[in-house]
Amino acid sequence: MTTSDSHSKQSLGFRPVFRNGPLAIFASVKLTIFLLALCATTILVGAWCPQEATVGQEKVIEQFGEEMAVNLHNWGITDIFHTPFFLILIAFLSMNMVVGSLDKVFPKLRLLKLPLQFFGPDQIAKMPFNTTFTVGASPAETLEKLQIKLQQRGFKTVVHGNQLAAEYGKIGRYAPTITHIGLLSLLLGVTITSWTGFSGFKPVRLGDDLSFKDSEHSKQWIGKLPTWKVHVDATRREDYESGEAKQWYSDLSVIDDKGKVLDKQQISVNTPLEYKGVDVYQSSWGLDQLIVSFNGHDKTLDLRQMGKVYAAFLPLDSETVLIMSLRNQTAPLRLFAKRPEWDAPKMISEIPQGKAVNLGAVEIKYVRPVPVTGLQYKSDPGLPITYIAFGFIMLGVLLAAIPFRHVWVSVSKDGAESGSAVSIGGRSKKAKVGFERLITKIVESMKHELPPPVVTTAIDPESEPSINPTASRSNESNV
Amino acid sequence: MSDFQLALTNTAGVSSVMSFWVFVASNGFKKYHDKMMTAASIVMGIGFVALTLAIIARGVEAQRFPLANLYESLLWFAWATMGGYLALATAYGIRQLGWLAAMLAATMFLYGSWLPANQQTISPLVPALVSYWRQIHVPPLIVSYAMFFLSGLSSLLELFHSRRKVSLGLSVGTIVLAFTAIGLGTFTSVDTKWLQLLFVGGSLLGTIGAYYTLKIKSGEPNQKQAELYDDVSYRAIAIGFPLLTIGIITGGLWANHAWGTYWSWDPKESMALVTWLSYAAYIHLRIHHEASAEKLSVVSVAGLLLTLLTYLGFNSLGFGGLHSYGKFK
Ligand code: HEM
Repeated sequence: MTTSDSHSKQSLGFRPVFRNGPLAIFASVKLTIFLLALCATTILVGAWCPQEATVGQEKVIEQFGEEMAVNLHNWGITDIFHTPFFLILIAFLSMNMVVGSLDKVFPKLRLLKLPLQFFGPDQIAKMPFNTTFTVGASPAETLEKLQIKLQQRGFKTVVHGNQLAAEYGKIGRYAPTITHIGLLSLLLGVTITSWTGFSGFKPVRLGDDLSFKDSEHSKQWIGKLPTWKVHVDATRREDYESGEAKQWYSDLSVIDDKGKVLDKQQISVNTPLEYKGVDVYQSSWGLDQLIVSFNGHDKTLDLRQMGKVYAAFLPLDSETVLIMSLRNQTAPLRLFAKRPEWDAPKMISEIPQGKAVNLGAVEIKYVRPVPVTGLQYKSDPGLPITYIAFGFIMLGVLLAAIPFRHVWVSVSKDGAESGSAVSIGGRSKKAKVGFERLITKIVESMKHELPPPVVTTAIDPESEPSINPTASRSNESNV
Repeated sequence: MSDFQLALTNTAGVSSVMSFWVFVASNGFKKYHDKMMTAASIVMGIGFVALTLAIIARGVEAQRFPLANLYESLLWFAWATMGGYLALATAYGIRQLGWLAAMLAATMFLYGSWLPANQQTISPLVPALVSYWRQIHVPPLIVSYAMFFLSGLSSLLELFHSRRKVSLGLSVGTIVLAFTAIGLGTFTSVDTKWLQLLFVGGSLLGTIGAYYTLKIKSGEPNQKQAELYDDVSYRAIAIGFPLLTIGIITGGLWANHAWGTYWSWDPKESMALVTWLSYAAYIHLRIHHEASAEKLSVVSVAGLLLTLLTYLGFNSLGFGGLHSYGKFK
């Protein structure tokens, strides 16, 4: 920003709020750029290294080996988003955002209320982009034609005597304010959630309850946990024909502490249960246990997921293992036996649910599988604010793509006949080249549509408009 | 895949290669330069239309939104690259970006066609991906990546016209190196640790080198052209940034809808945020007049590398997460 630029801004009513004092350093946009870059780098490292908090320590060891994993752990890289370094970085960025927005972004709104100014040829000649031309039409006619052309291209125009001022994309100037209001609201929403919200995950077997006792929340927490619970009435998996999972469903009941049913909802991936500010999501699914009966005695076996099937292992003697495998909830149970001298397990039998087979003296009945539904739950009281923030941010960055443009024109009588000398200039904060092409086009069409100047003047009408490419960024002001 | 769809996709692929060669050749024929440039743009336009139809045909065939695996996303990327170039070329009357854009689109076609068949066929979706949110969330991201690539390529032309040849050479070398790492990671079994090092180390050294060699000028800059490509580069980012923002936020909305949390530090999610923060830094750098066009060009090239890492690097260089398109080695 040049000095003259900031002078003009101050004379127009732009006043940084935090010019002095301890907060002044946080108003710096250089600091913003530095913090954004540092933040990006830190998150990049966090994206590269598996995070203990999300995938567990084993994953880190698997990827880097024991020794390196320990080092990464000690350096804080395996849980980088909870390190003091990262939290302080976020605190600095937040501080920078609040102070910077109040100091540099919001005050500029005032500038938008200022009326358009008018300029003469000398001032126009100093603009980042300017040119002059002459035509053989009266100043009034020339100005009117120019005005129409600018209006056709979306400019708002004001005429004052033989001067014209036009602007385009003023709405784009609201972009920084709207974006930053969004960013600050996001900060607020996230803080509210962190102080009063909770979340967690629990695999719940069919027939069991989900309670919120073990939920996670932040250290500064001042919220309250609900006393009601969620009962799993039913849960199932729906497959594609190829056998891959297509959808998981769970029928849930909300029950109070006395067991009274308060609500019933079916959930699936993408459709959660919503009750009193708590959402319960279907996040995973599996077969957890297997109930079989041996000669009428029920036995519950744990199932393990092995690729596409679930299996339970039951040692019969020191060498023989009985393997029971299930493809899904409705498929029959397959029995295999494995002995060390066999290459592969041998299939013994297939039992549909509710049926039994006799193996020697033992009657084995497949009673039922016990599915488990992975329930993710959360209460996010800051969410409405966060969502509004998302809206503001999206709107703001979209508006930021609109270039804000100014055009000034001054027309004077040229020669004795009805001729006009036109000075036209302006600036565009963004898409500068497009702007210059646009003005050049307008100038060309003016020269084409109006009669050529009758008297020869110092400016040769045949020549290219004398485009002055001094359009350096530093010359642009933020008016 | 039906023959019709295959024919359309091939037409698009061949068009991108052809328009690349016509663009390149036009620089050798002074007399026919403009005509050939126009011809190249027209060929690119034909490819764009063919690809649009191919993507629609794929969606009709699959009875779902045609953006569910890496192959389909590459088609979208090539589509956005071609469309983005055509739009920028129309707005700015630039042509030299054409051969770079055509080369990029052709590279993506080639990369897509080399993928194993199981990535190309129309496969059913895992439960997490069955949602209308997918069509809201993914297209803006892919288009934003394409815009960031176009911005980076435009920055290369800016460096060329401002006669920062050393810096330009380093930038191009770095981009080629990064693509090589991705290629090796996808099609060979070279240890991904080395490839990560090659990509990240190369990119760091390359961009730092490109930044510090900006001082070296060889010849008189073509100020007008340099300014033009600087502006195009900024424009592409100005379009890409809101799209990235929308993509990330709608992803958050989807995740919140599906899993109850809008942010979970999944690697791909984090990478998109890294890209977003970096371009936010770029935008503030630009607004605050603190950097010359050349410096901004190097930043935009760095942005291209980050985008590449976010888009393809995470799959091929062995980063995991929910968003990976799956392993295909
Ligand atoms: C962290 C501290 C931040 C500070 C101090 C800051 C400061 C500023 C300032 C001074 C402006 C210029 C306002 C104007 O010219 O009227 C601006 C514009 C803007 N900022 Fe920030 N910013 C910060 C973070 C962010 C972040 C994280 C984003 C992410 C999207 C962002 C997005 C924008 C956008 C989109 C604009 C408008 C750009 C344009 O008009 O092209 N800012 N910011």
